[in-house]
Amino acid sequence: MRYVGVAAVWAYRFTLAPFLGVGQCKYHPSCSQYAIDAYKEFGFFKGTLLAGWRLLRCNPWSRGGVDYARDQKVFK
Amino acid sequence: MIVASILTPLEDLLRHILNALHSVGLPWAWSIVGLTIIVRMLLVPLTVKQIHSMQNMQAHAPQMKEIQRKYKGDRQKLNEELMKFYKENNINPAASCLPLVAQLPIFIGLFYTLRAFAKHPPGGQAAIDRGDFSWLHFVPDITKHANSHWSGYVLLAIYVLSQVASTYFMSGTMQKSQRYLMMILPFIFIPFIVKFPTGLVLYWMTTNLWTVGQGLITRRLMPKVGPGFAPPPSGPKRSSRTPPKEPLPDGGTPTAEAPPPKPSSGPPRRVKRKKKARR
Repeated sequence: MRYVGVAAVWAYRFTLAPFLGVGQCKYHPSCSQYAIDAYKEFGFFKGTLLAGWRLLRCNPWSRGGVDYARDQKVFK
Repeated sequence: MIVASILTPLEDLLRHILNALHSVGLPWAWSIVGLTIIVRMLLVPLTVKQIHSMQNMQAHAPQMKEIQRKYKGDRQKLNEELMKFYKENNINPAASCLPLVAQLPIFIGLFYTLRAFAKHPPGGQAAIDRGDFSWLHFVPDITKHANSHWSGYVLLAIYVLSQVASTYFMSGTMQKSQRYLMMILPFIFIPFIVKFPTGLVLYWMTTNLWTVGQGLITRRLMPKVGPGFAPPPSGPKRSSRTPPKEPLPDGGTPTAEAPPPKPSSGPPRRVKRKKKARR
């Protein structure tokens, strides 16, 4: 199941991302890489939540920075 | 399946807005343009924020170059060091994913909406024959695939050009190789895009042109070197314009150097800032 998530992110990278004119993410690793890491490490549901939360944080008012999926604090 | 059901409300909303725009007298094609402009106007506050931070990044470019030089071989380390540098210097990196991703549902929603249009055009064949779906007298039917009429190729050409141009404007901090890839991609996607409804190409064309216009305006408004900023990194700034050819009275060859920056008259133009910059 978690690989469905990973595959979805890759599909996004190859199809939709170019249309959106992707810049560099303000975080490291980038949001899509974070999503892939989160899916691999936490499974589909937690991964989706983490990736969604990360996307919400990746807004113009946030600071960005180094932020790995494994260092997340949402799930214990 | 899941995506489709999530998108249905959005699709309905888009359809409502389209209908509303159409009912005040806009033809369908212009309604799409109008919808695009509404969306982009809603995103303007985000963009202004991004432009401010881009300015900030430019001011710190020399130090960032230094870091990039230092960790040239190690991408991972380089990124981490850059992020640390951002944090130390209170730089808010320009790019962020949310505004980009915010456009995604609209793109997909519009795709579905226009596909539904193509299958069941409101008004039926009679409306198509009446020219309800034509645009500017040269696109006969925006619900048809882009390759069904030569006008579709015109729109495609404008789309590709505007895509390249908007990439140029929005990729200030991007690595060179990535930037080139982004500029090549629209060409690779042409075979797929020709199967899209023309209205969708119209949407992308409009949104890209908006980006380009925004880029041009902000370039003009943005002071090259604000007070208190470090002088520009090195040499002439990259600009879309070719350096002006100044007539040389003695017929000598023009030098490669850019002309020295003209002293601006009056106080430097400043982009209106929020009252308190976060420091």
